[in-house]
Amino acid sequence: MSLLSGLPLQFSIDVSSLLNVVWLGSIFVFFIYGQRLQMYLIANDISRALNRLKIMRDKSRKEAIDYFTSSGKVTGDPTQRIDEFLDYVTIMPVDMDPRGVVEKVQHITNTRDERVRAEVSQIIPNLDPTKVSVAENILEIATSLNQIHKIVRHYYLLGKKTNSYMLLFQLQMIMPMVLQEADALVNAVDTFKLGQPVGDGIGPVIASRYMQNLPKQVVGKDTVMTVGEYKGRTLYVLKAEGPMGYVGEPGVAIQKLIEEMKVPLNAIIMVDAALKLEGEKTGEIAEGVGAAIGGIGVDKFKIEEVSSTHKIPVYAILVKQSILEAITVMRKEIAEASDKVQVLINRVIEEKTKEGDKVLLAGIGNTLGVGQ
Amino acid sequence: MMNSQQDRKAKFIVYTIEECPACGQKTKRAFQLGDYVTKDGSKCSKCGNTTKITSIYAEAPPKT
Ligand SMILES: [Zn+2]
Repeated sequence: MSLLSGLPLQFSIDVSSLLNVVWLGSIFVFFIYGQRLQMYLIANDISRALNRLKIMRDKSRKEAIDYFTSSGKVTGDPTQRIDEFLDYVTIMPVDMDPRGVVEKVQHITNTRDERVRAEVSQIIPNLDPTKVSVAENILEIATSLNQIHKIVRHYYLLGKKTNSYMLLFQLQMIMPMVLQEADALVNAVDTFKLGQPVGDGIGPVIASRYMQNLPKQVVGKDTVMTVGEYKGRTLYVLKAEGPMGYVGEPGVAIQKLIEEMKVPLNAIIMVDAALKLEGEKTGEIAEGVGAAIGGIGVDKFKIEEVSSTHKIPVYAILVKQSILEAITVMRKEIAEASDKVQVLINRVIEEKTKEGDKVLLAGIGNTLGVGQ
Repeated sequence: MMNSQQDRKAKFIVYTIEECPACGQKTKRAFQLGDYVTKDGSKCSKCGNTTKITSIYAEAPPKT
């Protein structure tokens, strides 16, 4: 009797202790293998993102090849030439002794740009400059995507090979931003193919308004300038030469204007697109001082150098936008900011300079789809 | 996130704005290949002057 009544009780104790063992065991397993499991999940995540990057890279490569072949004047199959070009490297100069490094960087990037243009002209000879510039831009986008994919792949494989949890974790952390940028680049191809102005072109759009019906002179590679008048001031306006997809050399042009052409400027006003922070509205305008120009830093350096030597104040007007908006077709909010920016420019000229002064207005950015 | 961005982008329509320098009349039309800002546009419907393209931008279509 006592034996029988004791049986079910003992049985139930066995089940719960078994569960306890399983539970404790799983804690133990997760304690030891949890990181490995998490690493597996992270690696999976990155591998999926990497796959998307690969698709984007292939798409942009195909777009580049298509653009070249559809131009109709292509000499032979451009595929191999383009593939070679996707791996084209630019080796930056040594900066241990930084004196004069800007000139070296400028020399190298100039050589590179000339090489790209020569390459494009060789694949599709006798093409109009706008289409050559578009081809240059598309080729550059494809090269960037190729680089992004390669670098992410490198760290992914390295992380897996060395079982480095932290490496994969960091890679996973920045992946959303990398994908966002890659996505912007892919979308940019469509805009460039059609020759539409991009968000970054807001500076040139505004500059072009001050250049109407004035004779244009070339003041640097792909850079044009006009000399006009605004309320008693001599107004120099410069931008890259449109409607090609050029950014020009505003730094060289400003230096030339002040040091070679000996124009004693009283103020420089720069208009450029700027990356907005999350939460800021597209098309918001910010005013300030300093050289408003992005890129590798050569032009920024030259403008800062020449303006500080000659004690010329540099005023900046920025139009906020996201990276996607900056390199894809200009949004209405950005285009509409141009009226407000024009009012602001006029106010800066009237408040910061007096009659008889010489003022330079520089519209910075890619001038695709914007003439002058 | 990428898909939603692409969807939003696909819905954008690109317009060209032509403005008459004489009377200031603005016309909005769909973007055509070869359009660029400052290019001469068509004749002004009001006064017959040659218009200029003053703006090219993308806009989401009006909600229906
Ligand atoms: Zn008119």
